[in-house]
Amino acid sequence: MASVEFKHIEKIYPGNVHTVKDFNLKINDGEFIVFLGPSGCGKSTTLRMLAGLEDISGGEILINNKVVNDLEPIERDIAMVFQSYALYPHMSVYQNIAFALKLAGLSKSEIEEKVRPVADMLQLTPLLDRKPRALSGGQRQRVAMGRAMVRTPEVFLFDEPLSNLDAKLRNSMRTEIKTLHKKIKKTTIYVTHDQVEAMTLADRIVILRDGKVEQVGTPREIYHSPANKFVAGFIGSPAMNFIPVELAKDEGWHVDIAGQKLNLLGDVDDNQTDTKATLGIRPCDIHITPDLLTNPLVIKGTVENLELLGSTIQLTSRLGDSQITVEAPSSHMVNEDEVTNFYIDESRLHLFSDQTGLSMYKPNAVLE
Amino acid sequence: MFAMRKIRWGKYIFLMLVAGFVLVPMFATVLGGFKSLGELRTNPFGLPDVWEFEYYAQVFADGSIWLLMKNSLIIAFFSVLLTLIIGTMTAFTFSHIKFAGYKYIYNYFLIGMMFPAAAAILPLFLKIRDLGLLDSLSGVVIPQVAFGLGFSILLFRSFFEQLPSELFDAARVDGCSYIKFYWHVILPLSTPILATVGVFVLVASWNNYLLPLLVLNTEQQYPWTLGIMQYRGEYGIEWNRILAYVTVTITPAIVFFLFAQKYIVEGLTGGAVKG
Repeated sequence: MASVEFKHIEKIYPGNVHTVKDFNLKINDGEFIVFLGPSGCGKSTTLRMLAGLEDISGGEILINNKVVNDLEPIERDIAMVFQSYALYPHMSVYQNIAFALKLAGLSKSEIEEKVRPVADMLQLTPLLDRKPRALSGGQRQRVAMGRAMVRTPEVFLFDEPLSNLDAKLRNSMRTEIKTLHKKIKKTTIYVTHDQVEAMTLADRIVILRDGKVEQVGTPREIYHSPANKFVAGFIGSPAMNFIPVELAKDEGWHVDIAGQKLNLLGDVDDNQTDTKATLGIRPCDIHITPDLLTNPLVIKGTVENLELLGSTIQLTSRLGDSQITVEAPSSHMVNEDEVTNFYIDESRLHLFSDQTGLSMYKPNAVLE
Repeated sequence: MFAMRKIRWGKYIFLMLVAGFVLVPMFATVLGGFKSLGELRTNPFGLPDVWEFEYYAQVFADGSIWLLMKNSLIIAFFSVLLTLIIGTMTAFTFSHIKFAGYKYIYNYFLIGMMFPAAAAILPLFLKIRDLGLLDSLSGVVIPQVAFGLGFSILLFRSFFEQLPSELFDAARVDGCSYIKFYWHVILPLSTPILATVGVFVLVASWNNYLLPLLVLNTEQQYPWTLGIMQYRGEYGIEWNRILAYVTVTITPAIVFFLFAQKYIVEGLTGGAVKG
């Protein structure tokens, strides 16, 4: 049973490159945490500091309430799966999985006893005598996981483990990782830049940018209540529409988009003095028909471009100076260059301060 | 089409010329051992008119060749062993551990490559004498290792640096120290480069003449290269015996070279093209 805690973690490389800045996080036992962020955001560095592969420039890392800053990787009771798998090319699958146990001084029969069940669980038994070069990408990935699992560590670390696989295999391996985690229930930290992996795997997602935590939350929180504009734009595909607006108040708060007034029914952060803000709406929250919406906001726009993606259509439309993307079921009939009504789900509106980038609006409706 | 064929012929002719430069003296050596002294003078390159086997027979009949070969073998074996052990360990340090001044120390090793052994004869002799290693095989082995280190460290280091760094990370997580990583991962993965360096050192040591001449005084210690001297008479040199002798003694080196050829090419070109 292992919890992991980061306390004010800093990483400064020579040349004053500040890669991780005041990173704080408490991870509960058995939790599946995903570090998500664009490349260079410090997510891998943070993981490697936890693994003991990088020195910690400042702060403390605790595993099971014990400071591990100065411990060797082997003493931290962790196991790691690398992006390139890092299998030992000269060893067979069996030897690869058994290597850590051999180093730990276990006898041949003890090693055999531990390797067999892991190989069975990962369906590697028929491949045990093969060398890594004779394996496919997915099989190598499983060997790398087997090597991590056989040591029964307290914490599993994954460093972009699926990014070398093709799309189809990535989906199935993702499911396998999820299933495995449910089965063995060990604390897991998983680094990726792929938001789909993050959304599907994580109990909680940690979004990082330039070495700083932008938001920590469940996938649902991150998606529906992004804390700031960066998170809002980073999560979701196609990306959220951002429209610069003027914020004003008469009987209630409202914003103007291209001369059209949208009333805000929820709570606007009153400390806000700036009237310039950015309105955020996800493409799937803008509808072409008002069918399913109880209290839609209506806005007019011209359809500029139309793309059929199979079950959905994606269209771009102009609203004054800004362009928005709309995703709708492909059963709807719209034509290019047509002026049409768009119906916006008010409970799905986001509003970000232009000064701080922080979210400043809470819609009334409770999210399902 | 015609131009292509011309280029191909050009290549063949060029390669045959180069091969000729290497092979003609070799054949002349092998065949020379079958000729009488008179014939050797009139017909140095062609096939012998009369095949005389006595010179080859004499090389073996004189039992000293086995002792000479044994000495050569001992010197070569320890030169290779020490060069490989010290070279890999040093190169591993340079490729994996960054410490203050490591670049200077690395360059210091490489400068050794530019230093011709012949120029060091006098100081080397004095040093070996001071160390009390004169007239011992280790007096030959140690300087040979020292002169071979620069080149082998250069080759080893560039090979080690091509090994993915995640391999070391994985090994550390699995519980490897530097020594264990070196032993369990680096060395098994380095067979091509070990073979390359090993063959170079072996052949250089096997054919070394100057250093044994400088260090060794008693005939019991002589390697085969010094054994040639026994065929140099007061009034003349018996070339046919020397050629027979040389043929017999370089054969092991050539056989070994042919055997390890595949690895040598692999070791020298490894990493040049992503495999």
